[in-house]
This record gives sequence, structure tokens and C-alpha cells, in this order.
Amino acid sequence: MKYETVIGLEVHVELATKSKIFCSCSAEFGAEQNDHVCPACSGMPGMLPIVNKRVVDLGMTAGMMLNCDINRVTTFDKKSYYYPDLPNAYQTTQWFSPICVNGRVDIETSKGPKSIRIKQIHMEEDAGKLVHDDWSDTTLVDFNRTSVPLIEIVSQPDISSAEEAIAYLERLRDLLRFAKVSDCRWEQGSMRCDVNLSIRPEGSDVLGVRTEMKNMNSLSAITRAIKYEVARHTRALEKGTEELVQETRRWDDNEGKSYAMRTKETAGDYRYFPDPNIMPVVIDDEWFSRIEKTLPELPEVKREKYTGEMGLSEYDADQLVSSRALCDVFEDAVSVCGSAKEAANWIITDCMQVLNKKKMTADMLDINGTSLGQLIKLVSEDKVSRGNAKRILAAMFEGEIADVEAYAKEYGFIVSNDTSAIENIVKEAIAADPKSVADFKAGKEKALMALFGKCMKQLKGNANPQVLREILIAEINKI
Amino acid sequence: MKVYITKSEATGKNIVVDDMILTTDMPTTAGSKMLDGYMSLFEAQAVTALKENGYTICGKANTGEFNLDLLGETSHFGPCEENGVLKGAAAQTVKMGDAMAAVTLEVNGSSARAAALAGLVMMKPTYGTVSRFGTIPAACSGETVCVTAADVDTVKEVLTALKGHDDKDGTSLPQEKCVLGQAMPAKKVAVAKSLLTADADTLAKVEAVKAKLIANGVEVVEIEAEQLLLAKSAWNILMSAELCNNVSKYDGVKYGYRTPNYTNIDELYTNSRTEAFGYLTKSTVLFGSETLSEANYFKVYDKAQRIRRVISEYLTAVFAEYDAILAPVCSKTEYTVEETAANKYMAYEESTYTAPSMITGIPVVVTGGVQLMGAPLSDAALLAMAETL
Amino acid sequence: MDIKTLSRLQKLNQLNLTETEENELMAFFEKAEKDAEILASVDTENVERMVYVMPMTNIIREDIAKKVFTRDQLQEQAPEAMDGYWQVPRLVE
Repeated sequence: MKYETVIGLEVHVELATKSKIFCSCSAEFGAEQNDHVCPACSGMPGMLPIVNKRVVDLGMTAGMMLNCDINRVTTFDKKSYYYPDLPNAYQTTQWFSPICVNGRVDIETSKGPKSIRIKQIHMEEDAGKLVHDDWSDTTLVDFNRTSVPLIEIVSQPDISSAEEAIAYLERLRDLLRFAKVSDCRWEQGSMRCDVNLSIRPEGSDVLGVRTEMKNMNSLSAITRAIKYEVARHTRALEKGTEELVQETRRWDDNEGKSYAMRTKETAGDYRYFPDPNIMPVVIDDEWFSRIEKTLPELPEVKREKYTGEMGLSEYDADQLVSSRALCDVFEDAVSVCGSAKEAANWIITDCMQVLNKKKMTADMLDINGTSLGQLIKLVSEDKVSRGNAKRILAAMFEGEIADVEAYAKEYGFIVSNDTSAIENIVKEAIAADPKSVADFKAGKEKALMALFGKCMKQLKGNANPQVLREILIAEINKI
Repeated sequence: MKVYITKSEATGKNIVVDDMILTTDMPTTAGSKMLDGYMSLFEAQAVTALKENGYTICGKANTGEFNLDLLGETSHFGPCEENGVLKGAAAQTVKMGDAMAAVTLEVNGSSARAAALAGLVMMKPTYGTVSRFGTIPAACSGETVCVTAADVDTVKEVLTALKGHDDKDGTSLPQEKCVLGQAMPAKKVAVAKSLLTADADTLAKVEAVKAKLIANGVEVVEIEAEQLLLAKSAWNILMSAELCNNVSKYDGVKYGYRTPNYTNIDELYTNSRTEAFGYLTKSTVLFGSETLSEANYFKVYDKAQRIRRVISEYLTAVFAEYDAILAPVCSKTEYTVEETAANKYMAYEESTYTAPSMITGIPVVVTGGVQLMGAPLSDAALLAMAETL
Repeated sequence: MDIKTLSRLQKLNQLNLTETEENELMAFFEKAEKDAEILASVDTENVERMVYVMPMTNIIREDIAKKVFTRDQLQEQAPEAMDGYWQVPRLVE
């Protein structure tokens, strides 16, 4: 018999906010253990939750990006269970009226285009982190991530292969990063995925026994886990190797196997009820359209624009649309300097070089695109040399430069058009290095470069290279 | 007589707060072994407001565990009693003259009962007009910070200091609604016939107040008010469910009591909670948990939420016609330690009288051993009425 | 309420009752259920649940991060802590 796979994904995405969802602790990743913690998010009595508005903004943004209906009245509920990473022994989430419902994500796979339906998106708080310490044989609890805002995106069981799952997740990640909802970093846990999977005879409309693998944190692990589970389910149905039961399984990516998790008999009894301390959030038309206006063009729309009217190569366009931050800087820069090709080069080559040196990713590009545009313009007008422009660019990463030309003037980065000044320097250089002059005359091209370099250094880079070269040759030829 | 958990220096305008209200210079225990010695890092907005208005917190009064009980009999530190008669510790400090007023968190009627039995004046203001920030949460949808004193003027004075909008409490009403305004004299008061189930001495108190009202020219009319009888069961369901959730954070991990008897996390949780919670808390937790189970949620919990609206709408209709509802606060004039030991659910039984206001958040003034319930935000009118009695 | 459900409830809520207490609570459940019959007799088909007694909407705050207490302050009363972590018995997966 042929079987088909039925997969639904629950994706958790940490939202890009400064503070936590119900208290004002920092939500920044990477702090020292329990450094971003307060009485509320460490389960002490007496603090009351106040919803972070930005969380609602981003929840709506996510919903709009995923073609969802936004619930104009959305409420919060409490979900109770005991676990050391949950300091209040309840998680505040949305059970009865989630912020978004009925969405859709369009994907492309080798089998062609397909739509994956979104059941709902709800806002909730993250749990803390547990560290198992072998030395003391205890578990250590860190509440830094506790109450960091999350959205959970629940798909319908529309996914039928690992390839589709990956295409869906990649598309989701692109859209959410593009809309700046989240940085979606699997390796930092800001994107995680629960995989619900079952198989059934092809054509059947009855769902098979479903297993769930929680907290998957890489695309490769998800691919392997899905393939493994499909094989296990198929074997079980065809050969009766085991009886399938509805359960939660842990995926061990090192061993390439899934294991049934020991669960309590009381597991799943969450006793949801509305949180009386959190008033309903009502999204009026004004709020709705304010968020709607912030939605970015989709990456593919941008790509088309870049390769079409703006004339970029496919490669350059792909590089830029890999990150919303690059697109934003690019578009601002082009609007000032007028050259898409130049702006793309500066971003893809020069900006990326600085980011790499700082061990930052493209998403973290935080320079003013307008300033970059001014800089590119100064270079194209031969007012600033390329070398000095790079120095100015580096300075832009340290702090905003509103008027680039004024900055260049202040720091002596404006190219000198005073040929007599260049001639003087050239003469001095020639006098100081007769050997190079002789070598050049003897046909060694490299010797000219040495002289050129010395002169340029003397001129602090502020000379048009072409002009300098011409004067240099002219002066040597005079000898 | 165990009146105080902690006693502080008394200097001038002394206020006692009960041990559900967080202070930073004295422990806050909620009357529980679980929080014995617990020091909060921050203080309640109520405490801040009192201090800012020149009052001194002269001590922390003993409370029943999470204020669920009748009159403080479930305190881990022992009940506040005299010759076997329960007193209610916060009210007792006022009675003894230690404090000009007591500020307590009303959860299930114990503050109202203590005041009624002691012949004091108590006001539970409209829900949302005094910040609950920094109170130990038990049943957040109805619990309210309230004031007990010897006379109406003192209650009014202290309430004026307490009332006000607080950004730290998401249920805090806008400032203009928090202010105690001026009130028109009462014209019409209803007596809730359904609640006239108390003993003769208590009913005599109702009669006495009724007579005074009539003497003051107020029209007093008996109404059936059967809808108010729904409140006891419904509030018990909502309160228990919320309590269950609110005390689940006490698990021996972060602070508070941790059992010495554990080898794994489940034992740590279970033994800490079993050893540190009293019976009433445990049974309320288990009852509340069951009301929220998948099988019961709509049948029990959600039903109680709808009943809350039924009662609330009924009250709106009554208050459209009447300035207040007059009723007993409890069924008797004295309760003993012995009785509450024999019947651990006496608070539940007695909540017949207090649940209507707890479940709807309406203001109540207790005076002359009886209560006057009013429409939401009619606090000033209730106080004015109490002043004439 | 039966003893099986009650024992499951105790596990779910991480606390134990003695046998006497169990019997006491079961009696209370019975009583409370009987009392709740009065609720069942009210038709609430078209009544909306009332979660908030003084309803408001959009009580929200701006996204501003603040640090008020230090880790040491927060862990001062921890039954057990190590290296800035709260500490519990080792969990087995």
C-alpha cells in the first residue's frame, strides 16, 4: 500500500522587542544567567502583568505577512503546569481568542507551488532555560528567557514531505525577518519548531496516529527527523513492528533516532482560563492601518524591481534581498546617489566586509542609507577617494554621520584638485628615491607603484589617482 | 492572642496592614508556612500611598492562609482568638487602639466579617479604585484592598489616601473614577430578603439600621433578591480556580519553604507544597483545579463566569432604583475556634453574604454589624449613608 | 468526585492529602456540586461570560527595557542557588 505523510508544524518565534511581554526586563539575547530577571518573571508574588504594545504590533505584522485575519479583540489566558523553567507554574498565552487566524503561506518545491494554510498565530511568553550540571548533578535554572515574547504559528496539517516542511519554514523565516518581526535564529532558539506527523493510506481522509516532536532547532534536524518518523510509521503499519501511539517524542540528532518521552499521566491537563489581570486588546482601524503601512514589499517583489528597472545582476539582487536591513540601506542610498550598481557594490562588498570584521550578520547593518548615498556620490564626483571613503564608511558604523561632505572636509578627506600641490609632492618623492625612478625608466612598472604609493600617502589619499599618475609620469619623463 | 506577624514601631498616624500586603521592611507571609519570613523586594502601592500621605505602617496583622477563611483561623501562626472566640487580627489592632485603621486584602469576606463582629466600620471600595500592585494574589478578579476603622471619617480619610490610578495594575481604573467624590443623600434602600437567613441577634442589627434609615427619611423596601444566592457557589468556583493558579508558583524552587525530603523534582514540589500549605488552601486548590478541567470548564467554570454577569446585571437593575442594598455580613455574632475546626468550610457557608459583592466588584460598607452594598463607583454615597447611621 | 479523580488532582497540583482530608474534601465536592445545581437552573445560553468586573481595553505599555533588581537580590531567598542560577534536583528527560 502507498502511504501519504500528513505534517502540521507549530513554529515558535521570539519577537524582536526590547523588553519582555509582561514586565520591563530586557529581552536581549546572550546576557549572563538571570541578569534579565525581575520579581514578575521569576515567579515572586505581587507584580501584575502589563502587555507590551510592541508585541501586539509584531503579532499583527506577522499575521498580515502570512495573510491572516486579525482578531480585532484579542485576549490572554493562563496555562498551568509545573516545570522548573516556568517560574509562575503558568504560562500566559492566548487560548480563546488568538491575535490571528486563517492564514496562508505559499511555497515552491520540486513538485511546484503549494499553499500551506495557517490555523492561527497566538502571542505568549517564553519559558526559561535549564542547564544540566554534571559536576553538582543538579539542574540549574536561568529565567532570562522567561517572559520573552513569542508568537506561535500553527499550520494546518497541509504539509506532506520534509521538502515541503523545509520550504514552508524557509519562507516563514524570510517573511518574518523581512517584516522585522523576529531575527529567526535557529541557533539562538529564536525560531523553534514542533513537528506533528502521521501517515495514512494514500487518498484516505482519516488521519493516522500522530506523534509530536518538540523543540526542533535546525532545518537539517527537521529533515532527518521527518524522514525517520515517516519510515518508522510506515514500518509499523506495514510490518507491524510496533504499535503506534499518540505521544511526544524526542529527536536525538546525533543518533538519528526519535525516542518516546516519559510523560506524566497528568500531562496535557493545562486548565486554561482567561487572565483577569489582562484587559482585552482591541485593535481599531487606526491601529490596524498603522501596522499595515509598515509592511515591507515581499522579497520577490524587491528582487524583480532590483533586476528590472534598477538593472542589478541576479547575484546582486539575491544578496540584497537576503536581508531587509540591506534592502533598506540600499534603497535609501540609491535615492541619494542615483546609482543602483554602485550602491549594491558598496553594500555587498564594503559594508559586508565591515560587518564580517565585527562578527555581525547582514540583519545587523544599522548605518544610515542616506549617508551612504551621499558618500557614494562624493566618490563618483571624485571629491573623496575610494580609500578615504572606506574610512568614512567605517566611521559610519560607529555613529551616524548626517552630513558626509562636511565630515569629509572636517577630517581632511576631500580630494585636492590643486595640481601644483601634487606636483610638489611628486617632485619631493622623485628626489628622495632616484633608484625607483631609474628602475621605472629601465622598464620596471612596479617601481612606479612604489612612488605612487608614497605620494598618495603624503597626500593622505586625497588625490585623484588618475591625475596623480599622470603628473608622476610627466615629472619622471622630465628627468 | 496572635494579632501581629510582625510589629513595627508605632509613630503617629498608625496603620496596620494585613500579611497579604507586601512590605520591604517586614516579612509578608500570607499566613502561610510557605512564605514564613518571606521578604519582598518591593512594596505594595497601597503601602507607598499610605506612607506618602504621612501614615506609618505599625505592623503586619495575622491573616488566614491567603485570606480564604472565615476569620483568620487557618493562619500558620495560629488564629487570633480570645477565649476561643475568633477575632480577625487586623480588626483587632483597631479595636485595641494600636492602629487608627487596618488595610487588608478582602478575598472571601473575612475582613467584612471581622469588622461586623467587632462593631467597626469597614469599606471594600469598588474594584479597580485601589491598586492591587504588591498584594499577594489569591483571586485577582474580585479581591480588593479595603479599610477598617472605628468610624466612617477615618475610613474615608484612609481610603482617600489609597484610592488612585496605578499604571502598575492593569485593572486599575482611570484616575477620575478612583476619586472619592461628593454624594447625594440616599433616598431609597432595598433590604435583600434572600439574605435574611442569619440568627436573631444579627437580624436585629439589620432591623436597627433599617429603623435609622427610615428615621433619616430614607424609603426602605424589601426585595426578594434571589439572584444574590447564586453568588456563593459561583464565587467559590472562580475564587478557587484563580487561587489554584495563583499559588502554583509556590513550589520550593525560587524562594519560600523547601522540604528537606526530596530526591527528585516531583518530590521537591509535592513535599514542599504538602508540608507548607494548610488544608483549606490545599482543598481550594484541588477544587479550583477540577473546575478548570477539560470536562468541567464549560459546565462549571465558564458557567460561573456567566452567572457573574447574571448577578451583575441584576444588581445594575436594582441600583437603578435603589441607592443601596442592606444585608447581613454573616449569620451569627460570634464564631469559635472549635466551630471552624469542626467545619473547615465555614467560610464557604458564610460567603453567602459576602460573595455578591466579591464576584461583582461592587463597593460595600460595613457598619453597625451589617452591610450596605452599592453600585460600582458609588463609594462616596455609601460612606455618606454610613455617616448618617 | 471519586478517589481516583482526587488522587489524579493531587498529582496534577503537586500536593498530597491524608486519607481523612481526602474524605473531607470529597464530602465538600459533593456539597459544592449540590450547591452548584442552583447555577445550572439559570439559563445562561445567551449570557456572555464576565471575566472583568470593571472592564477596560488596551491597558498596554511602551516597549522600554528597565532593570530594577540585581540577580543577587532576586536570589537572596533562594533555597538553593549556584553561580547565579536557581538550583533544583537533576531533571531526567
